[in-house]
Amino acid sequence: MDILELIQSNLLTPIILFFLFGIIAARIKSDLKIPEAISEFLPIYLLAAIGLHGGIEMRNTGFENMLIPMFVAIGLSLLFTLNHYQILRRLGKFNIFDSYALASTYGAVGAVHFSVGLSFLKNQGVSSEGYLAAILAVLEPLAFIMAIFMTNMAVSKQNKTKQQSLGDTSSEMDLGLNQSKVKISKVLRESITGKAIVILLGSIVIGYIIGEEGFQSIKIVFDDLFTGAIVIFMIEMGIIAGQRLDDIKKVGIFLTTFAVLIPTFNGIIGVLISTAIGLSLGGAVMFGLLLASASFIAAPAVLRHAIPQAKPSLYITSALGITFPYNIIVTLPILFTISSFLHNGDGTINLLSIFINN
Amino acid sequence: MKLYETKLLTIICEILAQENILDILKKHQISGYTKYEVDGDGDRGLRGQGLKTEKNIKFEIIMNENKLQDVIEEISRTLFANYAIVLHVTDIGVLRPEKF
Repeated sequence: MDILELIQSNLLTPIILFFLFGIIAARIKSDLKIPEAISEFLPIYLLAAIGLHGGIEMRNTGFENMLIPMFVAIGLSLLFTLNHYQILRRLGKFNIFDSYALASTYGAVGAVHFSVGLSFLKNQGVSSEGYLAAILAVLEPLAFIMAIFMTNMAVSKQNKTKQQSLGDTSSEMDLGLNQSKVKISKVLRESITGKAIVILLGSIVIGYIIGEEGFQSIKIVFDDLFTGAIVIFMIEMGIIAGQRLDDIKKVGIFLTTFAVLIPTFNGIIGVLISTAIGLSLGGAVMFGLLLASASFIAAPAVLRHAIPQAKPSLYITSALGITFPYNIIVTLPILFTISSFLHNGDGTINLLSIFINN
Repeated sequence: MKLYETKLLTIICEILAQENILDILKKHQISGYTKYEVDGDGDRGLRGQGLKTEKNIKFEIIMNENKLQDVIEEISRTLFANYAIVLHVTDIGVLRPEKF
């Protein structure tokens, strides 16, 4: 009942309403469009605000206690990516390329999810650990690198068996093998120097240096305007999601189910584990949301190059058209409810007592 | 003025194939090209909408016929299977053939 109420009140927040409005605008084929320069500027602005917020919090709380959550997040993200692959490949019968592309899309994190989460918590009057922004930066390229690595291995293996069955190795085969492999180092360098990570890390450092005091002079832009800026971005996201609604039919029942169940599962595991390692109520929600989120801005840019054989219509549509709306409307309140439950009073005892009472 | 015959290669492709095409051009020592963002219908429906990474781009590259064969062979071999891409070649006249 609690969760349903929270979902209901979450539905009526400006962020969700404007997202739904964007979908409707796209469906009625309105020519409503956020100017390109603004839709390019907003992710940079949101990442800068997230980074500054994180940096300032880290100055207040120190970052020694960030290492354990960071390693746990890295471990979970890699584990989940492998898990997704197995599910997609074995149960969903997707080919290797689509499986790895989708696995990493859902293993990767979404900065837009993160912004919406921060604003959701602000709305609930709850704060979260600042170092989560640093975890966002570290997780961003991780799942992709892993998926690309695994795809390269799979391609090499395939080529080897092909070569063996053909007998001798012709030079043409070698050429094909080398071309289909993508250099991990190149992907790594491109991700790290990519604008998302650069602005995020830069803002964390600047936030750490300026602290609360220095932030006062720019607070009006990076704090007070934050939710408003997300709202404008949500119109754009809604329009793009709305344009893709027809594609959802092509995604299929299996992937649609996957796009809903996996984020819920990953998110809940994230909340449970992060609570166990001592994150706060809000921190656990953000941690869970990081693991629940799917990437739809970074994913196409990385995957299209690294795994060109995978169909972008699958991973963009499922991440943006299904998982993103589901996460911000349903998963977020679920994670918040679970986290509040675990943090208010002693969660483990509460869990036990419920079992006993039943 | 005398015009010298040469070739114009036009490539319309998804923006994320741009780097691959630039790599191929570089490999064949072609440094000059023009590109611009475009949108329109493909045989499978509207393209160039939505996310920034889904836009279309159009390349125009002037080159002599010797290079052209190698370039289009490599593009068709490496990119046709996985990317949205169309290319066509036009005969054109230029004033300074040594540039291309």
